Amino acid sequence: MKSRAKYFFLMPGVIWVLVFTLFPLLYSLYLSLTNARLGRETEFIGFQNYINLFSDQKAGEVALFSAWLTIGSVTLTMVFGTFIAWLFNHDIPGLKALRAILTMPLFAAPIAVGYMGVVIFNEQHGPINNIIASLGGTPVSWITAPWPARFAVLITDTWQWTPFVFIVALAAMQGIPDELFEAARLDTSSAWSTFRHITYPLIAPALGTVALLRLVETFKILDVPLTLTGGGPGQASQTYSFYAYLQGLRSPFQQGYASAMAYLVVILCIIISSIYFWRVRARFE
Amino acid sequence: MASTTSPTVASAAAVPQRRVEARRLTLGRALIWLAVIIVTLIALFPFIYALTTSFKTQRASYDGTLIPWLQYEPTLANWQAEFGSGGQETMRALTNSATIAIGATIVATALGTLAGWGLGRFKYGIGNRNLVSWFLSQRFLPPIATVIPFVLLFKQLGLIDNVLGLIIANATFTLPFAVLIMRDFFADFPSDLQDAALVDGASQFGVFWRVALPIATPALVAAIIICFAFSWNEFLFASVLALRNAKPYPLMVAGSDTVRGIVFGFVSTRMLIAITLPVVLSLLVQRYIVRGLALGAVKG
Repeated sequence: MKSRAKYFFLMPGVIWVLVFTLFPLLYSLYLSLTNARLGRETEFIGFQNYINLFSDQKAGEVALFSAWLTIGSVTLTMVFGTFIAWLFNHDIPGLKALRAILTMPLFAAPIAVGYMGVVIFNEQHGPINNIIASLGGTPVSWITAPWPARFAVLITDTWQWTPFVFIVALAAMQGIPDELFEAARLDTSSAWSTFRHITYPLIAPALGTVALLRLVETFKILDVPLTLTGGGPGQASQTYSFYAYLQGLRSPFQQGYASAMAYLVVILCIIISSIYFWRVRARFE
Repeated sequence: MASTTSPTVASAAAVPQRRVEARRLTLGRALIWLAVIIVTLIALFPFIYALTTSFKTQRASYDGTLIPWLQYEPTLANWQAEFGSGGQETMRALTNSATIAIGATIVATALGTLAGWGLGRFKYGIGNRNLVSWFLSQRFLPPIATVIPFVLLFKQLGLIDNVLGLIIANATFTLPFAVLIMRDFFADFPSDLQDAALVDGASQFGVFWRVALPIATPALVAAIIICFAFSWNEFLFASVLALRNAKPYPLMVAGSDTVRGIVFGFVSTRMLIAITLPVVLSLLVQRYIVRGLALGAVKG
């Protein structure tokens, strides 16, 4: 009886995923092996798209930027999120109320945040440059210079997603029994030591999951670069997914090529997460 | 806040030590408070700036001032434009957003909770960890890879420009979160409760429905909020699958740039309307979010 019941719980979700994800997955794989293009005949061309992809310089540049953005954002959000969670893990009055505010950025639509970013990062009239100028510095060309634009995207993404790490890290920290902290306080009065030997190892599994989720998600970002910088100047802040999006849904409408681009990321993500689940996570279970 | 305990003779020697510790403790706490304030301000800043800018004329919006009446004259013009003459479009978009988000949340949470209970309490032949990663892997596909097939599929099903199509799409994307959150919560569920209920003659589903679910409220709320917010905020699929009738609000945010360039006040207004519902919801269910999202860490 029990063995039948357990499938009852799992099946609805599995069936849904199979229906609505397996088909797109297989179809994009098929598309990636063709030269599908809007308004033209589709021909099977095997791995040609993938070969072209490796010699596509633009693709290489956006891939590099996406990698930079991903590593930067994941690192910053993990560090800040964990630190802020540590701050909030103290028994100080008023923290509970402020905690709610800290989670707000996560729930704001990225597209809205991107547009607001246009206002905030505006070079002539935006508050950031206003503050910089009033402190005596030179205003930064957030939108018209390549590296500032990239940092603008990075800052925005970090601002938005640090709360996610914060929530998970805090939940994990609050699950640690108090006795462990008491014992630690007898041995050392250094906060860093306590963190390093008690807190961190116990929240590591949760942090690991979050890091993986962030890694995978950041490589897909589209909303923020689209609205904040439009990928510019030129292509400086164009993410990989953004470029694939332009290839497939804007001229030249090369859906086959865009699908190939997307599939490479899928393979990459599968590899990364496989490594994570079998090597790293196994240690904690 | 220095210690105010009166020293006894025996602990006279210990008093200076205690006072020093109390002071160090207070300094540490003060620093933490300061850091918290700074972090909070950074988190809040874009929202506050949007709020003040939405009440500014275009000229004033360039000033970077913050305090109404003292530093600038507030105006309702932007808000009137949004809800007055353009009001119908705004309300329609908000209604669509609500329909889509609620529908997707119901589907994703229902399927995800069921699957989460299964994955958290039972063992499957293929391997529970494999199944969880399989569910999570749905998030690996860059949007472009799913958009095109979805468009084709929905064209066949007649679901283009239909809220149902977007409900399906968003349910599919948020399902992994629901599975992850609920599974992690159920994995720590005390077996004795489950066994006791079974001994009492409850069916497996009865255990789930009557024993596990009521206790799972924190995780359930966290899952619901996350699925709802992500669906409400989703932009890409909406931009491709919704043409006229099913347009949710994020598409209206995207339309805030005019020929003359970005009007700050207008952008701010739309941004605030777009984010209000998910953000307010998140504030209301705050205590559940932290409790529901441990994602596999040590549970005391």
